[in-house]
Amino acid sequence: MTIVTADRYNAFHEVWDEISHAEGTLAGMTIAIKDNIVTKTGTTTCGSRMLEGYKSPFDATVVSRLQNAGATLVGKTNCDEFAMGSSTEHCAWGPVRNPWDETRVPGGSSGGSAVAVAARLCDCALGSDTGGSIRQPAAFCGVVGYKPTYGTVSRYGLVAFASSLDQIGTFSTTVEDAARVTQVIGGYDELDSTSNPEPLPNVTSELRTPINNLRIGVPSQYLGENNEPAVTEAVLQAIETYKELGATIVDVELPLTDVGISTYYVLAPAEASSNLARYDGIRYGHRTSEPCTDLFELYAKNRAEGFGEEVKRRIMLGTYVLSSGYYDAYYNNALRVRRLICQEYQQAFHKCDVILGPTAPTAAFKIGEKTDPVSMYLNDVYTANTNIAGICGISIPCGFSEEHGVKLPVGLHLQSAWHDDATLLRAAQMFETATPFHLETPEQSS
Amino acid sequence: MNENASETTLTDEAVAHVAHLSRLALTPEDVTKAKDDLTAIFTHIDRLRSIATQDVEPLDHPTELKNHIRSDDVGNSLSQEQVLANAPAVKDVYFDVPKVLSESS
Repeated sequence: MTIVTADRYNAFHEVWDEISHAEGTLAGMTIAIKDNIVTKTGTTTCGSRMLEGYKSPFDATVVSRLQNAGATLVGKTNCDEFAMGSSTEHCAWGPVRNPWDETRVPGGSSGGSAVAVAARLCDCALGSDTGGSIRQPAAFCGVVGYKPTYGTVSRYGLVAFASSLDQIGTFSTTVEDAARVTQVIGGYDELDSTSNPEPLPNVTSELRTPINNLRIGVPSQYLGENNEPAVTEAVLQAIETYKELGATIVDVELPLTDVGISTYYVLAPAEASSNLARYDGIRYGHRTSEPCTDLFELYAKNRAEGFGEEVKRRIMLGTYVLSSGYYDAYYNNALRVRRLICQEYQQAFHKCDVILGPTAPTAAFKIGEKTDPVSMYLNDVYTANTNIAGICGISIPCGFSEEHGVKLPVGLHLQSAWHDDATLLRAAQMFETATPFHLETPEQSS
Repeated sequence: MNENASETTLTDEAVAHVAHLSRLALTPEDVTKAKDDLTAIFTHIDRLRSIATQDVEPLDHPTELKNHIRSDDVGNSLSQEQVLANAPAVKDVYFDVPKVLSESS
């Protein structure tokens, strides 16, 4: 059992010290919870002053299921405010630092969860992934980050950002732990109307059985010149590893990869502007201390003071694309592109079992390095379409970049078709078994 | 390319209107900053206009689930105490807000 000790990276907003003595399949496992998943223990702030001190009257379904399986929950991890970000710099409680180089970001938005596992402060952590918020920080921190197929894990108690894209998933040091925890938290939940009613497939039983004749699709769009050379090099090496394991590499084309971010930044803010309308500072949330003459002024001041800059930007972006006169040109058009992205994946999965590429175009960047929103958004160029289509994806350690004078992890991104999570995890396990990258820790490198 | 494709241009007035719709109190400086940021984001978003989507049905959700309706049974609910516990201002058993109606209304 790994216990949280000193947290020099600001990974945690709260650390709890109660050990579970319950029996179950996760007895002895320590698990951290991203601060946008509600817990009756402690507070749930979503990294926002809007929810400072908020105490949930109920537990999220995933939290109850972990507790029932005997896991010890160790606390709440810092994240970008309302899960909007790719660096965990936009957290009201300060930036989270990457344990491989403390001057660099851990990725985001689930940066605290990624760091908690990378620094071995706990065994596993839960995150949420709306456009890459589990997989990209997992890549930056050298751990396994898994986003199940949409609907696999209940969203009940996950504070909503973009409801048609959000999915809870895991951080761990091994693929096996990702499968074990998902087996517990996944499965139908009547409290989430988008939960998949089909029985959860057993993702642990055949995990270690290699897939014969695994077909891996490598889209040319994933290996372009926007990638840091060391990232492309690590991915090409991973392809060689899979070939040695007997996999067949097939050409697939995903030409809409390039417009995924544009689609995402219409759909996600549109849904967010609606979801975040609930924060009015009346029943809960930040209340201004300034005098207000009417309710409108009260709402507008509460929200302006409670939300950070990035959240306000996305609320306005979403409000704009949904507003009268622009709805069809932006929102409806993005929904049409969404269908095309799904069709593109469907065609690709006729030819292959898994699509392979880098998780992010670069290794971890410096804190404060990306100052304009668009360059920050482009971190998610390879991960956002997974959520737009609702398929499953995982990032696993596949090497290191030493281009920046320090050793920084690189993530390999695998995607599989809707509800084909068992194939995804088995393919990831094959790579992990054959390579040493997941065994390296930041402490060894420093 | 759609025939009516054109770049999105934002004015301070348009951003102030969106801030109003969003219930966000912004200073004039905030509005100008937001205009610059949103303009850069829309430059990126406008790439979608080059995709032929005329004959494509919008897809608003990745699942193929139909309407999901539970049976109309009474379930767990929160107590009054729990509901009020996170309120920033409470008066007796009510959420306290500033006076809404003016003297003349």
